[in-house]
Amino acid sequence: MKSERTVPPESIRAVRAGHGANCSSIGSVIDTLFATATVGAAVLAAVVAALGREDVRIAGDDAPPAPPPSPAELPPRDEP
Amino acid sequence: MIVRYEPWGAWVKLETEPAIVALDRAGVRALGLDGGRAWQAPPRASAPIELHMAVTARCGAGCEGCYLDVRPDGVEPPREVLLRELDAAAAAGVLTVAFGGGEPTTRDDLDLLADAARARGVAPVVTTSGLGLSDARVERLRRFDQVNVSYDGPGDTYASVRGFDASEAAERAIERLAAAGVRVGVNVVLTRSSFPALEGTIARARALGAVEAQLLRYKPAGRAASLDYLARRLSPGQARALGATLRGLAQTHCADGRFHVRVDCALVAFLSADEALARDPAALARFGVFGCEAAGALAAFTVDGRVAPCSFATASDLPALELAAHGDDPTLARWRAHVEAPPEPCASCSLRAICKGGCKVVSAHLDGAHGPDPECPRVQDARGERAA
Repeated sequence: MKSERTVPPESIRAVRAGHGANCSSIGSVIDTLFATATVGAAVLAAVVAALGREDVRIAGDDAPPAPPPSPAELPPRDEP
Repeated sequence: MIVRYEPWGAWVKLETEPAIVALDRAGVRALGLDGGRAWQAPPRASAPIELHMAVTARCGAGCEGCYLDVRPDGVEPPREVLLRELDAAAAAGVLTVAFGGGEPTTRDDLDLLADAARARGVAPVVTTSGLGLSDARVERLRRFDQVNVSYDGPGDTYASVRGFDASEAAERAIERLAAAGVRVGVNVVLTRSSFPALEGTIARARALGAVEAQLLRYKPAGRAASLDYLARRLSPGQARALGATLRGLAQTHCADGRFHVRVDCALVAFLSADEALARDPAALARFGVFGCEAAGALAAFTVDGRVAPCSFATASDLPALELAAHGDDPTLARWRAHVEAPPEPCASCSLRAICKGGCKVVSAHLDGAHGPDPECPRVQDARGERAA
């Protein structure tokens, strides 16, 4: 689904930036807290723009049924 | 974007920006969406948005403080088992999966697992020691959104945390991954000995091509749950200095927006000692800072296929394949219950909604029960334990 849409900035309750690649505890970007208001505004603007243009997929309870596993996902794998 | 409805609105994982956004209901409606079942059914505990998945118990590094006590001959689940676990994670609405272990790069099929996660709408990331990183392993790691290398600092600093100096191997791994176009971060474990070297560690990681540093509190789990823990954990003075230290790191390394510093959930309790941060919890909330999310926004799959509140905690009896039932599991519910109604001094703390009572693994180890984090500066003040 893709359409012209504008999410009001005040509807954004929180932005968790980054990917967070730690496998043992959940992390949060903290430096943005100490950044200038200009940096904060730029982050928000980028998020609002992405919300306006990206296609939507639904996850969780309301997701469409998952496709069957691809044969490429299944063992064996021969190469080292 | 991937949208997961919540009773209050939705979590939205963006695909062109590295961010997860919490939108209220009006924001979700502005996307042309109706909230689905989550807005109609009675509220219940939400499934995790981030999952830590142990894909092997095999690791030859032998770090002194390994939180899982993994060994070179550890078990490695077959790929079909992990694919079914990824199915369960996707069905529950997990947005990010962090592969760990053991040393996940020992698996020859790590790239296939990353592809499988992505095909299910779950963003794959991974942590590695960086030791023994062959060209084939670097190639496999290109499939991940981000790879974090464990790097506690150069030379002696690394050795002081892990018991051996493999810092050069970790540094080479950071450099090679960055050169291969992989988004690479570093995991830095904060101990009494690594904390004073932190500025130099971050500078070195950045120079090698890392784009992010994740600071981790040393936790008493696995081989680290020993008497040694008391000597290795941050001193009370270091814990109190965390806010000022982060401020300094942000000014020095993050001003251009190309490098970021993250704190782990367990470190958030230490921010209560920082007057400016404690005065403005709304700012931490706005930037999505998470304290203890064990059994909440976070869950872990153990290598034997059970759900744990977090990677450091003892697993529940809930099978990983039944993650969607995570809201009904009594063990996981007990973890959340403490967060919902914490005792003093957490109950009156300005950071309560963010911090969520600090690290329960630490309180269980030191106090024998879930309770206020005994290393939190505010808790220590309340107990009359303030130390230098």
